Amino acid sequence: MKFILILFALALAAWYLSYSATRLDRLHHRVETSWANLDGLLQRRAAIAIEIARSEISDPASAMLLTFAAHQAREASVRDRSQAETGLSGALGILLETSSHISGEIEKDLIRELRELTEKIKMAVAMHVDAVTRTQLVRKKWINRIFRLAGTAPEPVTYEFEGDVL
Amino acid sequence: MPLSKKRIGIVCPYGWDTPGGVQSHIRDLAEYLIGEGHFVSVLAPAIDEESLPPYVTSAGRPIAIPYNGAVARVLFGPIAFSRVRHWISQGNFDVLHLHEPAIPSISLLACWAAEGPLVGTFHAAAKRQKVSFAVIPFLEPVIEKLNARIAVSEAARETLTEHLDTDAIVVPNGIYASLYRDGKIDERWTGNTIGFIGRFEEPRKGLSVLIDALPAIITQIPDIKIFIAGPGDSADALKEIQPALRSRFTFMGRISEEEKANFLASVGLYIAPNTGGESFGIILAEALAAGASVVASDIPAFDSLLGHGEYGTLFESENSQDLAIKVVALLKDSAARKEIAQRGKNYAQAFDWDVVADKIYDVYQMAMVGGNGVTLSSENRAWNKLLGRQG
Repeated sequence: MKFILILFALALAAWYLSYSATRLDRLHHRVETSWANLDGLLQRRAAIAIEIARSEISDPASAMLLTFAAHQAREASVRDRSQAETGLSGALGILLETSSHISGEIEKDLIRELRELTEKIKMAVAMHVDAVTRTQLVRKKWINRIFRLAGTAPEPVTYEFEGDVL
Repeated sequence: MPLSKKRIGIVCPYGWDTPGGVQSHIRDLAEYLIGEGHFVSVLAPAIDEESLPPYVTSAGRPIAIPYNGAVARVLFGPIAFSRVRHWISQGNFDVLHLHEPAIPSISLLACWAAEGPLVGTFHAAAKRQKVSFAVIPFLEPVIEKLNARIAVSEAARETLTEHLDTDAIVVPNGIYASLYRDGKIDERWTGNTIGFIGRFEEPRKGLSVLIDALPAIITQIPDIKIFIAGPGDSADALKEIQPALRSRFTFMGRISEEEKANFLASVGLYIAPNTGGESFGIILAEALAAGASVVASDIPAFDSLLGHGEYGTLFESENSQDLAIKVVALLKDSAARKEIAQRGKNYAQAFDWDVVADKIYDVYQMAMVGGNGVTLSSENRAWNKLLGRQG
């Protein structure tokens, strides 16, 4: 009888461990996809920023500033990314605030695309931050720490976004 | 919208043939997406499986359970679960959209059974309930599978943050704003009139709050008239009203969409005295889009829909005196009334399906990044193998 009970307990424990591991794996996957999505959108924004820098909207000085910020954002590591992107947001914000005379069709299209992209980036950031906080929370559970269920998956880093540039 | 066509699965938790806000939202969304060329399949409980539209699959007969202060017709259990699994494995979906996945329903079952790009929409805006504390440990691992969460209002988002400690993107419910934009003024309904649309027999629609407010309104506005549209037994409703007041009521029964647009554009005030159980308040969005000046109870859903009073007037829920004061003030000041109605009309264009469905589709796309479609989750696959079932 005792033997059966112990066997049952072991089976239960094994099930729970594999269940927890699956759960963590799934969460890490969620972080990866939400980051891939956000990263893609941010890359597009940097590309648009460079196009704006080359267009009629910007004077040479702000073109330089914008190009510099865009390159910095593109080359930043994951940890420094949000800060670099905030720099790009700032540069775009200054430019758009000061240039009220956007007239050409191409320029208007650029600005509209940027505006739509900003909306999407806000949503993507919300999705990513949620996935990251959730994962960090579950990683902290004692069972996952003791049994190292997260394996070699890197600790996800959160992304701070000072969103309202446009 | 992009050219690539997707296979989209939508799960409706409530009985398809019972009228309700969530159901009509899903119906409109599914039809819109089909119109855009996507393949859409809706899984829903249904009583009458014969008369379902072609894109709806029945998951079985719903059972009525009391939930959140109303009777919810939902479905769960082993047979429903196997139908859900079957639907997911046969559907070959690119993305699964689950509505109200945090209540005991096929949406929750689908969230449990599926893996891949999952999007959840939360409709309910409810105060904290004690029972939810007990179920959170079960719910959390299931809900956290969702790649993206949508809340239909700020109130629903707050409910979600409070209950499940997770954030959501706010995308409102949709209306066909173009249907309501150009309602014609109809002399029958203009002047000092109050409009009300809904199943007035249901206590939570709050018609009695309006009836109780009437004597106080009459002392200030003697020629006030009330028009009520919607299905129900008007003879029964009239019995509840004092004989002296009965002549002021006109029951019109069901009205067509076109009449509804004209009606909303014509009435002096549109009143929504609902006492609760509303998740969004689609009728208020329609009233605003038609240019009506709206007075609504301050339940969470209406409060957030009306921008805390920016786009319509709020009164304290179930307080007839407060309602009477607000009605009299507005009917006496037609300039203020028109101004607020115009603000509301501009604002309500954001609820148009063209805007809303695009936003929802954006969320789908974000959830689909890097995903290879929806499959049964690994737990279920192992479980099925153990029981010798086919997935």
